[in-house]
Amino acid sequence: MITASVRIAAPPEVVFRYFIDPQLLVTWIGERADLDARPGGTFALDFAGTKARGSYVAVEPPHRVVFTWGIPQDAALPPGSSTVEVEFVADGGDTIVSLTHRDLPLDREPSHQEGWERCLAALAAAVRQ
Amino acid sequence: MTPEPKEPEAPAGPDAVLRALADPHRREILRLVQDAELPAGQIAANFDLTQQAISQHLTVLKRAGLLAERREGTRRLYSLRSESLQPLRSLLDEFWPDALARLKQSVERAHPRTERRRPT
Repeated sequence: MITASVRIAAPPEVVFRYFIDPQLLVTWIGERADLDARPGGTFALDFAGTKARGSYVAVEPPHRVVFTWGIPQDAALPPGSSTVEVEFVADGGDTIVSLTHRDLPLDREPSHQEGWERCLAALAAAVRQ
Repeated sequence: MTPEPKEPEAPAGPDAVLRALADPHRREILRLVQDAELPAGQIAANFDLTQQAISQHLTVLKRAGLLAERREGTRRLYSLRSESLQPLRSLLDEFWPDALARLKQSVERAHPRTERRRPT
């Protein structure tokens, strides 16, 4: 499980849109996005030659969004196999964004044998430029 | 004669490593050589690719420091340098924090506050 959070000087209503609007999403992650932000709707993101594919699980503006995350060409991390949950909490005029990426195979089998290989898809995600 | 392990001259940056890993054929090659040292021909036998394509993939993997090459007579044997994958775990850990940092930048640039609060 990976967690990350950040404080952003804008209200949740503004920040939330950056997770459901393809044009806003690609301002901070990836180059191309195809999003249908409702439960069961497509979450498709291309970045650095890698395709992340999944679907929205929960869309609760402006508090919470959950989507699945996987890489079709990587058997180790197929679409639907991992889940990203993002929460938006207002704090003053700011938003605290907390993100949790669960069920990455890496955590099930740390470092040994296939561990490294299983995380590659997610690693490719780290290739951002 | 002692076969000396070939080290890349300069440590390959994470970009080179990640670029090398961004290709499914190259990941498959690493999978093949993670437990066994294999000659190029035997690696190639697992793919529907030309020998030339395979050797290009091997070159990319070597340059990224992911693959060790050892000569034995006329053969070249390849194996995974697993230590080179170690730093990648931390990169993975940094993926979302990095992305969120860019999100922050992007939102705050698009929605500047007239009065900024003092950072504490």
